[in-house]
Amino acid sequence: MNPRRVAITGLGVVAPLGNSVGALMAALMAGQSGVRRLTTPRGDGLRSPIAAGVTFDGAGFFAAPRLRMLDRVSQFALFAAAAAVADARLDFAVEARHRCGVCVGTSIGGAETTEQGYHTLYAERSDRIQPYSVINAMNNAAASWIGLEYGLEGANLTYSTACSSSAVAIGEAARRIQSNDADMMIAGGAEAPLAAGVLRAWEAMRTLASEDPRDPSSSCRPFAKNRTGLVLGEGAAFVVLEEWDHARARDATIHAEFAGYGITSEVTHITRPSVDGQARAMAAALRSANLQPADIGYINAHGTATLQNDAVETAAIKAIFGAAAYSIPVSSTKSMHGHLLGAAGALEFVITVLALERGIVPPTMHLSVPDPECDLDYVSGGARSDVTLRAAMSNSFAFGGTNAVLIVRADSTMT
Amino acid sequence: MSTLDQLQEILHRDYGIARDALHPDAALETLGLDSLSVLELMFKIEDGFAVKITEDTPTDLVTVGDVVRYIDGLLTRTAAGSAHRPAGIAVSP
Repeated sequence: MNPRRVAITGLGVVAPLGNSVGALMAALMAGQSGVRRLTTPRGDGLRSPIAAGVTFDGAGFFAAPRLRMLDRVSQFALFAAAAAVADARLDFAVEARHRCGVCVGTSIGGAETTEQGYHTLYAERSDRIQPYSVINAMNNAAASWIGLEYGLEGANLTYSTACSSSAVAIGEAARRIQSNDADMMIAGGAEAPLAAGVLRAWEAMRTLASEDPRDPSSSCRPFAKNRTGLVLGEGAAFVVLEEWDHARARDATIHAEFAGYGITSEVTHITRPSVDGQARAMAAALRSANLQPADIGYINAHGTATLQNDAVETAAIKAIFGAAAYSIPVSSTKSMHGHLLGAAGALEFVITVLALERGIVPPTMHLSVPDPECDLDYVSGGARSDVTLRAAMSNSFAFGGTNAVLIVRADSTMT
Repeated sequence: MSTLDQLQEILHRDYGIARDALHPDAALETLGLDSLSVLELMFKIEDGFAVKITEDTPTDLVTVGDVVRYIDGLLTRTAAGSAHRPAGIAVSP
């Protein structure tokens, strides 16, 4: 039996460049960067005090009694999921909610709550740990709140595979629909890692970008010879995935068809990527989508701007696409919105869906010094529009070795 | 200001509950205050009433009036000098 088809009917974000998909895409197409110098005490002592933060005050969206139960990561998740549900024009009250579920990817969950707890304990030397600490900090809090919000009685799952967490969440959610375990899934990712302790831990790993002294917003330079590392970002992105006929029956707007999902694991080192591992994930996604490499018109790269990733990812793309690799636009939007860790895959998937739907390709910014090892078309000269795309790919690779690749396809049956 | 007035002020300010809903017979649960909220409220009572709570939070606090009576008991014991303990706990650096 053929797997059931999956439609993408809702998109929602809270992101460094805007808290709506419209604002986000406009900023990306204009090549704007959400990377800023940290002005809060969180940046104190950092060698490179930059990040891509979100302008968001939860008090404007959640009443006080509820807000105390929501870490920033869950606030982001609820906001972006609500935007996706609104975009899908869904009313779960009239849906079979036992056939609906939630898949969320997050790498570190309620990091601010955890940090606050340690601050209370070790810095204030107080025993007043907030009673809500556990439910705020637990990794599955965001998924649970979304399920509670809409009364979704199907699977409620949280995936934590570092930087591919939310790509995995979306892929696994689609599979639940394909296999007839669900009819609709709210899927995506959320991350709120801009706590001082988390920033310091990433700095200690020597993976963060050096601050550009002339223009901090251009510090993240994927695929450039002078790239120095990633810039941490925060936010959330969610999609509504829906069984194809269900979406058609209620006359939903279909942004794109969920086409394929490939996943592989690195087995040589906890952080070192391999060309083979990444290439096999892309091949697996193509196979699952029943598409050929020639069908892919745009690749949203993982493109972290670390020395290792960008060269390996470039080689992996060449391994799969051969000579055609040079003619496929490949961009790393992380150059603008930073690295959202567990939310990165979902945010970049949403961007990929919108690129496909609107026939546009967002650029890789801050790439002015080419690297001979990174010699593809990275769209470094600015965004492109009026592009006809039949299918597009979004890559997510992770510390811990979980490589996840998602493919979307234009809906050829819609006009 | 009575204990009830002061408690109403805390619950209004920190939990966004309308003052006129905070009558002594109002059940905490129906005001949106679950068991974890009541635990958290104990910190606010310590600050607001300058008392130290050394025992486990009682489980029989059901209404606003129950909390008022509990606070009054704490105030009486504090006045008698029996409910005090030093601030903070010893934690190794």
